[in-house]
Amino acid sequence: MVKRALAIVLILITGYWLANALAQVPFGADKMLVGKYYLENVKDQTGAVNAVTAVVVNYRGLDTLGEVTVLFIAATGVAALLWRKKRERTAKSEGSVVLQTGSRLLLPFIMLFGAYIFIHGHLTPGGGFPGGATIATAFLMLYLAFREYEIPHKVFEPLEGLAGMSYVIVGLIGLAIGGYFLFDWIWQTWQLGHDNIGKLFSAGFIPIIYTLIGLKVGTELTGIVDNMVKEPKEGGQ
Amino acid sequence: MNPQYASLLIALPLFSAFLVPLIKRAGRKVILPYLTLVTLIQTGIAAWAFKEVYTTGQPIIVLAGGFQPPVGINLYIGHFAALFVLIIAIVSFFMAVFSMKAINVEPIDKYAMLFLLLMLGATGMIATGDIFNLFVFMEITAISAYALTGYNKTGEASEAAMKYIILGGIGSSFFLVGVALLYGSLGTLNLAQIAMLASKMNPTVAQAALALLVFGLAVEAELFPLNAWAPDAYQASPHSVTVMFSAFVVKAGLYAMVRIVYLFKDTPAFMGILNLILILGTLTVIIGELSALRQTNVKRMLAYSSIAQIGLIAVGFGVSTPQAVDAAVFHMVNHAIVKALMFLAVGYVAVTFGSPHIENFKGLGKRMPLTAFAITVGAISVIGIPLFNIFWSKFRLLLAALQVGKTGIVALILGASLVEAVYYFRLIHTIWFEGGGEKIEENLVLSIIMLLLVALIIIIGIYPETIWNIIQKAATDLYNVANYVKNVPLLGVSP
Repeated sequence: MVKRALAIVLILITGYWLANALAQVPFGADKMLVGKYYLENVKDQTGAVNAVTAVVVNYRGLDTLGEVTVLFIAATGVAALLWRKKRERTAKSEGSVVLQTGSRLLLPFIMLFGAYIFIHGHLTPGGGFPGGATIATAFLMLYLAFREYEIPHKVFEPLEGLAGMSYVIVGLIGLAIGGYFLFDWIWQTWQLGHDNIGKLFSAGFIPIIYTLIGLKVGTELTGIVDNMVKEPKEGGQ
Repeated sequence: MNPQYASLLIALPLFSAFLVPLIKRAGRKVILPYLTLVTLIQTGIAAWAFKEVYTTGQPIIVLAGGFQPPVGINLYIGHFAALFVLIIAIVSFFMAVFSMKAINVEPIDKYAMLFLLLMLGATGMIATGDIFNLFVFMEITAISAYALTGYNKTGEASEAAMKYIILGGIGSSFFLVGVALLYGSLGTLNLAQIAMLASKMNPTVAQAALALLVFGLAVEAELFPLNAWAPDAYQASPHSVTVMFSAFVVKAGLYAMVRIVYLFKDTPAFMGILNLILILGTLTVIIGELSALRQTNVKRMLAYSSIAQIGLIAVGFGVSTPQAVDAAVFHMVNHAIVKALMFLAVGYVAVTFGSPHIENFKGLGKRMPLTAFAITVGAISVIGIPLFNIFWSKFRLLLAALQVGKTGIVALILGASLVEAVYYFRLIHTIWFEGGGEKIEENLVLSIIMLLLVALIIIIGIYPETIWNIIQKAATDLYNVANYVKNVPLLGVSP
């Protein structure tokens, strides 16, 4: 009781202190110092219609590479901590026929939509992360509907690594061609798609990188699901 | 050579970590040699960057994507970053070698990936010139550290990782709120531009944002109220990972804190935040030393001692005169060398005898004379005895504190050294004058690494001037903010 009261008082004090500071940053005031630059130059410099994508992949590409890495670490960490020699699914009951048939029918649509999201990252809201998460949802659905389902590990693990490696390689090609790591060589050196802004084949390496991120995020989240639904087998280590 | 190649410091560990799932196909045996090779190449690149920065006297500015800051992200490899990136790479290389002996828990491939990414995260934290990018690299470091802490999968390790992940998560959120406050009031994320605009910032907002950032980073930097995870994590994580925590992960956190706080040097918020760091540092020293006094697990004792040393470094930064910052950076380097040696040696003993409990150290002088010698040199150095490296950094710290008349800090440093003397001499006594036993064959490669580090300690102890020159340049990089801002080629985006 005393503990809870103390905690509430402490939270109120912290909240008041933060609110006090926040009150000094007026909402809606023009703070577009760097933002304005992005909005004015995004089409010329990157070819993307979606400014968020351009910031995420081009201007602040290093952050995105870092976020992809964070997800990779999360998946690797889960796999390392749950590692056992023999593991298997322990679901008690099979899903109903309606659920199974429904998920069979839905699967290609979800996959297609996920791919659509990451391929059109430079044109519509979304991009690699939501697209990849959507694809992982499709696999999650399979895991929930079927008792025996398991992803093909031989394909998924190397694919995950390859997608990440390709991202770094794209960046390194930029270093070789343009002199800067993560330099958009397709747009700025080859100038491919310059008269195509707003259509699918534009925006330099953004669609390529978003496809790689989509694959990577999709395989990684699926891997985490796979690791978490399996339990050590009796007699296994 | 094109200075942009310094971006390989980030690209290489990333690429190599993503490559591990493919390397695994060739068999389990190749993974650890592969890890060693990658860290060796990383050391080569870091050495090149170090040479480049110290011969030209100019920092390497890496522009990611070719966009000028503040529009793009830049890496700033100045004198400080070049020195510490090199230390990170060398320690990682030594630990990759040590891993072959110390890591026998599966899955090795995941261990190699996490190891590389921990190195990458710390490198990025120290090299980056953008505050949000700093957050991303901090997350990379922290999340790989959580996973590596729990890697041994014992109950103890899981508990330590759990503590760490909860505290770290709270700290990161604090940090992110601080970044949001800064961005909300300045409209930029670039560190150099933040420094330029800092004086225009509302003092209340600046104070709140800085306090949030300091509290957020204090988890990684192991300052007192937020370091409860550290002793458990040090004790439970694999031995090679403990070395990495103590030698550079904590330093990256501390550096980030100091870098950000010093950007606000000319604002009214600065003094208040410095006092906060001073208080946190002092408490860290006192609690760390007193806790180390009662430990029977040698690894845990070293962990507390390591935390106390970090507190001393924080105190040095809190005093914030040029002399004090010089001394603090010197102490950072010395501590990295000494603790790398000691955790390595203690880890080796623990691998050989099963646990780092004090019982196993009885008669170590007869059973593993070289390892015992290494531990002894490390212990004597930490206490701050002349002719060893830490004597000089503690001495400089004392002088710096005397210069500004802070006798309390002088008493703190001397008191801490006294307490250290008590528990380290007890350890040395156990090693050389108790028990006995058969001599055990010591690993040749590890012996060479230990002897190298011992030699380094003694060389710095006898000729401190050679490294002092480097240290001063690195420290100037930290407190001379005007120069830092001048070196970053900011695009003409201004309010």
